[in-house]
Amino acid sequence: MGLKLCLSSTLKFSPISILRPISQSTKNPLRRSLLLVRALSADAAAGTTTIAPDTTPDDFRVAKAPQWKAAIDFKWIRENKEAVAANVKNRNSNANIDLVVELYDKLMNVQKEVEGLRAERNVVANRMKGKLEPSERQKLVEEGKNLKERLVTLEEDLLNLTDELQQEAQCVPNMTHPDVPVGGEDCSSIRKMVGKASEFSFSVKDHVQLGKDLNIFDFDAAAEVSGSKFYYLKNEAVMLEMGLINWAVSEVMKRGFTPLITPEIVRSSVVEKCGFQPRGTNTQVYSIEGSDQCLIGTAEIPVGGIHMDSIIPESSLPLKYVAFSHCFRTEAGAAGAATRGLYRVHQFSKVEMFILCRPEESNSFHEELIEIEEELFSSLGLHFKYASDFISSGFKFSFDVLTIVFPIHFPLAGLMTSSNFHRTIDMATQDLGAPAYRKFDVEAWMPGLGRYGEISSASNCTDYQSRRLGIRYRPESSIPPKKGKGSSTPTRFVHTLNATACAVPRMIICLLENYQQEDGSVVIPEPLRRFMGGLEIITPKIQIRC
Amino acid sequence: MKGKLEPSERQKLVEEGKNLKERLVTLEGDLLKLTDELQQEAQCVPNMTHPDVPVGGEDCSTIRKMVGKPREFSFFVKDHVQLGKDLNIFDFDAAAEVSGSKFYYLKNEAVMLELGLINWAVSEVMKRGFTPLTTPEIVRSSVVEKCGFQPRGTNTQVYSIEGSDQCLIGTAEIPVGGIHMDSIIPELSLPLKYVAFSHCFRTEAGAAGAATRGLYRVHQFSKVEMFILCRPEESNSFHKELIEIEEDLFSSLGLHFKTLDMATEDLGAPAYRKFDVEAWMPGLGRYGEISSASNCTDYQSRRLGIRYRPESSVPPKKGKGSSASTQFVHTLNATACAVPRMIVCLLENYQQQDGSVVIPEPLRPFMGGLEIITPKSK
Repeated sequence: MGLKLCLSSTLKFSPISILRPISQSTKNPLRRSLLLVRALSADAAAGTTTIAPDTTPDDFRVAKAPQWKAAIDFKWIRENKEAVAANVKNRNSNANIDLVVELYDKLMNVQKEVEGLRAERNVVANRMKGKLEPSERQKLVEEGKNLKERLVTLEEDLLNLTDELQQEAQCVPNMTHPDVPVGGEDCSSIRKMVGKASEFSFSVKDHVQLGKDLNIFDFDAAAEVSGSKFYYLKNEAVMLEMGLINWAVSEVMKRGFTPLITPEIVRSSVVEKCGFQPRGTNTQVYSIEGSDQCLIGTAEIPVGGIHMDSIIPESSLPLKYVAFSHCFRTEAGAAGAATRGLYRVHQFSKVEMFILCRPEESNSFHEELIEIEEELFSSLGLHFKYASDFISSGFKFSFDVLTIVFPIHFPLAGLMTSSNFHRTIDMATQDLGAPAYRKFDVEAWMPGLGRYGEISSASNCTDYQSRRLGIRYRPESSIPPKKGKGSSTPTRFVHTLNATACAVPRMIICLLENYQQEDGSVVIPEPLRRFMGGLEIITPKIQIRC
Repeated sequence: MKGKLEPSERQKLVEEGKNLKERLVTLEGDLLKLTDELQQEAQCVPNMTHPDVPVGGEDCSTIRKMVGKPREFSFFVKDHVQLGKDLNIFDFDAAAEVSGSKFYYLKNEAVMLELGLINWAVSEVMKRGFTPLTTPEIVRSSVVEKCGFQPRGTNTQVYSIEGSDQCLIGTAEIPVGGIHMDSIIPELSLPLKYVAFSHCFRTEAGAAGAATRGLYRVHQFSKVEMFILCRPEESNSFHKELIEIEEDLFSSLGLHFKTLDMATEDLGAPAYRKFDVEAWMPGLGRYGEISSASNCTDYQSRRLGIRYRPESSVPPKKGKGSSASTQFVHTLNATACAVPRMIVCLLENYQQQDGSVVIPEPLRPFMGGLEIITPKSK
């Protein structure tokens, strides 16, 4: 239960603390302009520039009436006010629970009044059907008129209150899993560390240098043609991208996920319902001129939209999708060191996993998703040798084989011990983003960059997105339906989860930097080779062409 | 005025100088305006046309080649929309809700078909010596214009990004053309041959009518595009090479098609000559365009500023950079594979009576060995 916004994707989205409220009809053609500001999350990768966090509370109010309603359980908020407020605080969100409850109470009162007045009107109307003295009739007519006027006013109040309530309530982030550490990014805890130390006996290059020497990237031409943070992939990098996509889709399909290719242009309302802010300052979302459409930043959005406004039979659950798409992000506000080469780009290919399930199953599907990710990354040669669990107060280690736990940071030049490590992080409350109930990020060691870089993210959004997208399921009833009465059990909201199977540019960085050889060539990990026409190694070439 | 002068002589010269300066300023202003006006008018001038190109409208286009013949069906043929529905491999309805009309999701085997077609096309063209590329899909609008497209006309095919001078590409021709923008390529490097994979985005504004059902005309699709930069004297023969590659690719998939030499009114401003390939689509009951190969000669290169320096047989004079003067390259582009149209072709031509669809042999290794798509019981 609760209201959360999940922004899981490999390249970080800002957690949303303010969401636009929605109004009556889902099919309202009115275009609305939003003045939302998104909080920027700090980059999880160690050592990167922390982006100044958080929303400015000023740009809060929506300019026009909202266009769609989230099916928020106000009653539940009211009944669990302390817990909800504490959660808001832990997440550093600007939501105002007191106001939400106040508006809800007001709404309920006005609702009651309206119902009362309607009942009275009916009484008057009925009485006017009978035989009456002219003076009695006159009195009734006036009474009816009076009631009508009061009703009109109250009904308008009702509409306004509904809108205001939506506006405030949509800002409330999702509840949080009890095991999630409270605090900022330094509170995030490491669930798992996987890898082995490998030693480089030569000076390690970063992926930009490697790419240059191998003639597989072109950033300069892309800067001319498109702007900064764009790129062409050439030669073996094309095979690497195609190989990674095919491998990831194939591996996840094996695990029972339905493959999908999705639209990359979507209506902005769908973007909002998933918990993103198309129109905030520093929005990550590109908009199409002259239309209410946007470019997707992740396939999570069009996949979430597939079952929008539907009721799914329980027997169909869980629905598991693996979706391939290009993703587009403005990366507004993402200044700083972490932008070199492929690390932060405006356009990239991504294979995304998405699950819709019954509420009681979402925690275990979250575990399943992170396990799939860990298996995928391990299979690329980030060898699994041991697991260690850090718990915030007093840690216990369990090793199968004792190896180095922490990455060793050395300057790039000279002898360097690097490790094919990746680690899974249980993100702390301030780094969750409004939709996520819980979020696991995987970071891989990038020796050329000299630090960990996020390569994937797995979020359990519980019912945050489904309440906005209107995705319900009908539980199977053990009671046989009464004849003539559609007496199925009442519908419930599904839970949604999303997780990155493969974000191509980050994976390319990982592979190039970790598998580089002294002569500048790069070995292709075994599982990818058959998706790359058998290619085993990328070697530097003598250049005669442009 | 540098010499020794009488005051009155000096005065006359000063006034003459002032007079000349004023006239110059005016004329220089005129020069700028005329330059702009000239550019505006001249840029509207379409490319010249190859002498063998038929003159007239689309009914004047001639058939260069016909390959295969329409398959005979012993059962009632379905179109790709119906086939897709029965095979559960498309979703147009959800896409209409999420994005709008002319969008789609591919599901299940259609995903494998798309990935397989892309991999196969890139692989086949790489074998023929083309350098593979993936390109940006957001580009500056000036690059779009230099390739000969109109980002801002009414009924433009081009999507623009709000709040920026960027657009979405409608074809990889644009970002690939842009790679060598404003450069001088050494003659030794030519020809440059690229095979580029990208998603393409088109508004399809003004494209109303019957030809919009299903995958035939969509806003977003995957395409593998061939692009050549070469010396002028070679462009006609590279045009033939490109159309032959296309014809080989489509023949190898067992498709029945015709290659058309497009008539003058159907060329589009950049093309000196254009060959279209139309394949038989039994479900639609007609031929549908699946690819296009254009020789743009120097139309695009003059706008993009792509030159080459011919090797000079005269040894350079010492101290004078006396290389031969530069010339404009010729550019050509041709579709290796436009995925949705190919999917339409394959589904409709390879359908079986029970609703299943056979995968042509060359694609199978790129689809994990899949040989047939079968209807599933729900």
